[in-house]
Amino acid sequence: MHIMEGFLPWQWCIVWWLIALPCLAFGVWQLKKVMEKDREALPLLGVTGGFIFILSSLKLPSVTGSCSHPTGTGLSAICFGPWITSVVCAIVLLFQSLFLAHGGLSVLGANIVSMGIVGPVIGYAIYRLLKDTSVNIYLTVFLATALADMFTYVTTSLELALAYPAEVGGVASSFILFMGIFAVTQVPLAIVEGIVLALVFKYIVALKPDILIRMKIFSESQINAARGEA
Amino acid sequence: MAKNYLLEILTVVAILAFCAVFLYTSSTMTGAEFAGSDNVGSGMIAELSGKSVDSFTPLIPQYEPPSGEIESCLFALQAAFGGILIGGVFGFWLGQKKNLTESTTNQ
Repeated sequence: MHIMEGFLPWQWCIVWWLIALPCLAFGVWQLKKVMEKDREALPLLGVTGGFIFILSSLKLPSVTGSCSHPTGTGLSAICFGPWITSVVCAIVLLFQSLFLAHGGLSVLGANIVSMGIVGPVIGYAIYRLLKDTSVNIYLTVFLATALADMFTYVTTSLELALAYPAEVGGVASSFILFMGIFAVTQVPLAIVEGIVLALVFKYIVALKPDILIRMKIFSESQINAARGEA
Repeated sequence: MAKNYLLEILTVVAILAFCAVFLYTSSTMTGAEFAGSDNVGSGMIAELSGKSVDSFTPLIPQYEPPSGEIESCLFALQAAFGGILIGGVFGFWLGQKKNLTESTTNQ
């Protein structure tokens, strides 16, 4: 989902940076608050952040004959909300732009908006929507993580379409072209990511249910029910 | 029994299916180079703007790994860092849990 350095006009770089910066600032503030309140949240942040590091480094082949990587942001979005997730993503993306020439400093804002903000916001919204319903919690985690992954790539497509409208059909038709490259490639990856992260969540539930209950990620009865069946 | 491990089974099935699809596309699809979608996207940008890919130069100068080996080394480092975090925390939680059950049984 990286937009490569130099491939986004500077005006758009500034626009996306201006959107990303306040979200990051809010994320840092939230992170400080969470850490002051509950030191036990730090290991959970380590696990959810660890998956962002691992999954975003795996470039997997897909049905379109090109490779793309999952994002791993959904789990962190569920546990800590989208803004703290943005901060973790910004660290990963900064590493990749400084050392790997994946993305770059001028396009970092745009890449943070797609992977660190829109993806996690969508994932978090789905989690909030399904949280208090009778939907199985693992299904909730699957949907939130898979769609956080998907929408990251939809956003990248939109960012590029806005900067490069087609001569015929404008933004809409180039959006479809970019979706064909990014989003279609991503569908199988998003499904696998969702299943894997649901499994990871099962192990968190098994090992550390108290932190999930205390942080009100799921209610005590939901966690107990999941432990009973898992 | 099977119900207890439903998620594990689903994960294995999904990963196997993913590999099978890859083997199928890589052996039948012509012109499948498995390049990064980032690069395919950049090609599309060049096509839409009517400029060549090489005419896009970084706005801010950046370091580029001199070879694929160096790049994969750095990617492996990134993944290893994540792996250490996850393994460490799961081990820490397991130890905490064990400690807790032992101290309650000893009382």
